[in-house]
Amino acid sequence: MGYRQLLGNDTTDRMIRIAILLLGVTANACVAIAQPAPVLEHASQIDRIVENRLQQIGQDGRPEIDDYTFCRRVYLDAIGRIPTLDELDGFIGEQKPGKRASLIEELLGSKGYQSHWYNYWADLLRVKYVGDKLHHPGNYAQWIKESLRTNKPYDQMVHELVNASGPLYKPGNGATGFYAREAMPLDHLANSVKTFLGLSIECAQCHDHPFDVWTQKDFYKLAAFTSRTYLRVDPTPELEKKYASDRRVLKNKSFDEWIVYRESLRVKHAAIHGNGTGYMRLPHDYQYDDGKPFEVVKADVLFGKMPDLDHKLTKEKLDSLGRKNFGPPINSRESLADWIVSSENPLFTKSVVNRLWYQVMGTELVGPLGDLSVDGMGAHPELTEQLIGLMKDSRFDLRRFLSILFNSKTYQSKAIGLSPNTSGYVLDGPVVRRLSAEAIVDSFLSLKTAEPEQFVQTDFQWDGFTNFYEKSQTMDVKDFVSYSVNGPGRGAFQKREEIAAKQRNGKSGPKHLWRVSCYGHADGSHEVAMLLGKSDRELIDGGNKEPNIPQILYLMNGQLEQEITTEPNIYIHQKIQKANEPQERMEILWKAILGRLPRESEKALASHEAEDLIWALLNSNEFRFTR
Amino acid sequence: MMKRRKFIYSVGMAGMSLPFLNSASAVTREPKAKSVINIFLSGGLSQFDSFNMEVDPAVIGKSEIINSNVGGIRVSHYFPTLAQHMDKLLVINSMKSNQGAHPAGIYKMLTSYDPRSSVTHPELGAWVSKQLTTEMDSLPNFVSIGKGSAGTAGFFPGQWAALPVKNTRAGIECVNRNSAVHEGQFEKRLGILDALNDDFDQSYTTKDTRAYVDTYQGSLRFMNSKDIDAFELENENANIVRLYDRQEFSRSCMLAGRLVERGVRYVKVELGGWDYHDNIYGELPANASKLDKGLASLLAHLSQKGLLETTLVVVSTEFGRKPGVNPNKGRDHHPDGFTCLLAGAGVRSGQIYGSTTRDGQAAADDVLEVSDFNATIAWALGIDPAFEEKSASGRPFKLANSGKARTELFG
Repeated sequence: MGYRQLLGNDTTDRMIRIAILLLGVTANACVAIAQPAPVLEHASQIDRIVENRLQQIGQDGRPEIDDYTFCRRVYLDAIGRIPTLDELDGFIGEQKPGKRASLIEELLGSKGYQSHWYNYWADLLRVKYVGDKLHHPGNYAQWIKESLRTNKPYDQMVHELVNASGPLYKPGNGATGFYAREAMPLDHLANSVKTFLGLSIECAQCHDHPFDVWTQKDFYKLAAFTSRTYLRVDPTPELEKKYASDRRVLKNKSFDEWIVYRESLRVKHAAIHGNGTGYMRLPHDYQYDDGKPFEVVKADVLFGKMPDLDHKLTKEKLDSLGRKNFGPPINSRESLADWIVSSENPLFTKSVVNRLWYQVMGTELVGPLGDLSVDGMGAHPELTEQLIGLMKDSRFDLRRFLSILFNSKTYQSKAIGLSPNTSGYVLDGPVVRRLSAEAIVDSFLSLKTAEPEQFVQTDFQWDGFTNFYEKSQTMDVKDFVSYSVNGPGRGAFQKREEIAAKQRNGKSGPKHLWRVSCYGHADGSHEVAMLLGKSDRELIDGGNKEPNIPQILYLMNGQLEQEITTEPNIYIHQKIQKANEPQERMEILWKAILGRLPRESEKALASHEAEDLIWALLNSNEFRFTR
Repeated sequence: MMKRRKFIYSVGMAGMSLPFLNSASAVTREPKAKSVINIFLSGGLSQFDSFNMEVDPAVIGKSEIINSNVGGIRVSHYFPTLAQHMDKLLVINSMKSNQGAHPAGIYKMLTSYDPRSSVTHPELGAWVSKQLTTEMDSLPNFVSIGKGSAGTAGFFPGQWAALPVKNTRAGIECVNRNSAVHEGQFEKRLGILDALNDDFDQSYTTKDTRAYVDTYQGSLRFMNSKDIDAFELENENANIVRLYDRQEFSRSCMLAGRLVERGVRYVKVELGGWDYHDNIYGELPANASKLDKGLASLLAHLSQKGLLETTLVVVSTEFGRKPGVNPNKGRDHHPDGFTCLLAGAGVRSGQIYGSTTRDGQAAADDVLEVSDFNATIAWALGIDPAFEEKSASGRPFKLANSGKARTELFG
């Protein structure tokens, strides 16, 4: 994309924003206008397969859900929060046919989609400040957000991540954040395989897999594709020569100036280098008969078709060279990316389909998200087959695939509470499950304001690193020295750049009205979401939905009291102030918080004070579980 | 018809519920210690400006060597109070880590493992809590005091993570009813909540919804537990309070002492700020003074209560600092040959264990690796350091990695 090469001034900045906006709009329009008929047709294909299975085992289909239940569910699954009272009333009052399909398209094209699914992908891709490598995750996060805004096909996303190279902080080049996430290349490979293929091969990193087919040698053969790919934060040795003498002078003169010199250079020069040599060497402690320590192994895939590689040296030749020699770069990392995202790769599509089904229905379609097998097709192979086909037909368009799922009767059926001894569960619809931490916090927002997405950004957001990277493009050695000597000093260096970036981004609104996705590294993580089990992004799928005592103490006695339960100026209180009698007020609260009308059996509760009802509703299982 | 009340909010109930107790136990023999207090000095304590004076004078920098109340043990003048308590402390000068960066070093020290991106290992406190918790316990057995991150349960269920106390004045966050809500109102709210949950349960009950109902019950019991007052320092006797000054670290130590008195097994107290890459002699004295007074008071507190025989006090840090002072008058990271302290629970106190080379560059005699250090702590509690548990993906991990207990540190 053009804007990656542009560096610059305010005009280019504006152009970038416009370009991104246009792309976003175009992508939305495609979904909304061109696709509806085939989407519905595809949705009914899923339903037919599910119905066939139910018939085979002589089980009735589940009842269809009403509009209230549908509305709450699809808001949560598509955009990650409950509908506001006005949104719910608007949908219920809508008379035109096909209103469910229209709502689905509207939500998938909205800012809420980007916000909600950013949380998901950022967890999976572990967007996080790593620390010692000066790895700032802002540019990486922006890359994910942009991919969601433009609805970048999933296979393209993954290809860009696996094959990313170049400067970490160059605007638009944030996919490099994925490689920079791990200090160790072998760990990174194991994580890539788990993330994109749903396969656990990390054991084979150190020894043959104890209960699977992968050997340590298999692991090293796969690692050969990425060998000699590395993150270097300092200037390359070649460039370093230019900086070296001033570095020495500053080091002996002032620690502060030297640190600023080092860190500011790193913002410009931190980059992913190398694109794979196609050769790897076995570890020093290799213990099996089929190879010797330090022996060269040639790149090979775990299964499927081996891409052609253009090796410049033979294995025998390389074996005769020094242990540290891995051969010249031959761009084998790109071949690995090709192999991973190939539609012939039996795990790539299956893994993402398994993941999305899990997100939407609450159960595994095929198997554990990070522990699939090459051949396994799950409890309902025809359904898995069909969904894989639909993902490929949709050309890895994630919004379209989600739209198919949401439009199916299977999705729009009554949720069941699944327990280990539930019999007759045949992947025929959603199960009851707790909302994600972010969805709970963002649902609070639906009670605080009529416009929960008003501060979700729709264009590239600068941070101190991308901002300084851009500035640094015209800086030479002299400028870096002067920046370090006359600049703000170590403590203020990052802060100043952050402030400049914030000004450049424009208004971001008050933090208490942000969605969780708007919190970045510089803004800290969302403490309440952490308490509710938000992933700390150390590990793949690291979030949890378990209760714990500090969490419950917060929900009962914490800030919610001031923020929602009793705060008279917020949205929900504005709404109930218009109610004339207890029953009417009760209806508003039940719709706003639970997304449904009060039941006959509950009407006796109407006489309680509004704040007590709000407290109890927010603490109820019905609020934090989907149904 | 009246429904059975699930949520009971009334005063004086004992304890919190700990629903999933550990069945497999690794407790093997009569333990030396019942509890551990781990004072963790994040940032990297300079061993040459604290407790390792057994090096060339040039290495010591601006620290002045003073004698302690034990002949042959000398300390830096930044620790004048502790100098009078060295009879209670064992100085280990031969600590060695393989990690030289803060996050990795801290992780290694607290878990015995190198950080990997495929798994999070439980901290030692979580292992201990999971091993030693019984149905009789009314307080969680892993409590973390201080601003740093609380103790992770790693691949264990979240219930084994440390209960965090960010500061001693606020205590456990949200443990008290919101002041705007009076007791009767809170009762009423619980009644409504109960009715709502019963209704939801009838159609949608799962093990997860039940876990929530159970944890609400446990939390309510905890709010009302008589043991909560362990967290409230104003309830401490005057003869203990007067041992401490009013600084937050000292108060944290007092809280740790109170918790151990109530039987809590593992209390971590964090005191950060030791990362003096520049101007070490301008900045270290204030922090050293906190440690000097807080730890000395804690040792007096435990002695006075008769708890020092059964409490292992561990002072640890992720790594030490370089023997040379850099041009910015600071010291950089140095993981080979740093210093930790032990006290109580029968350790051979009033002694120095291990050494560095005279130039301070490397651990020399009786080198103690981080995992051996942690194995020793587990052993003192009567826990097998090689006890193994599996992560979610079935990978086995040992409590102290491959560490071996150094039993000779105990008398």
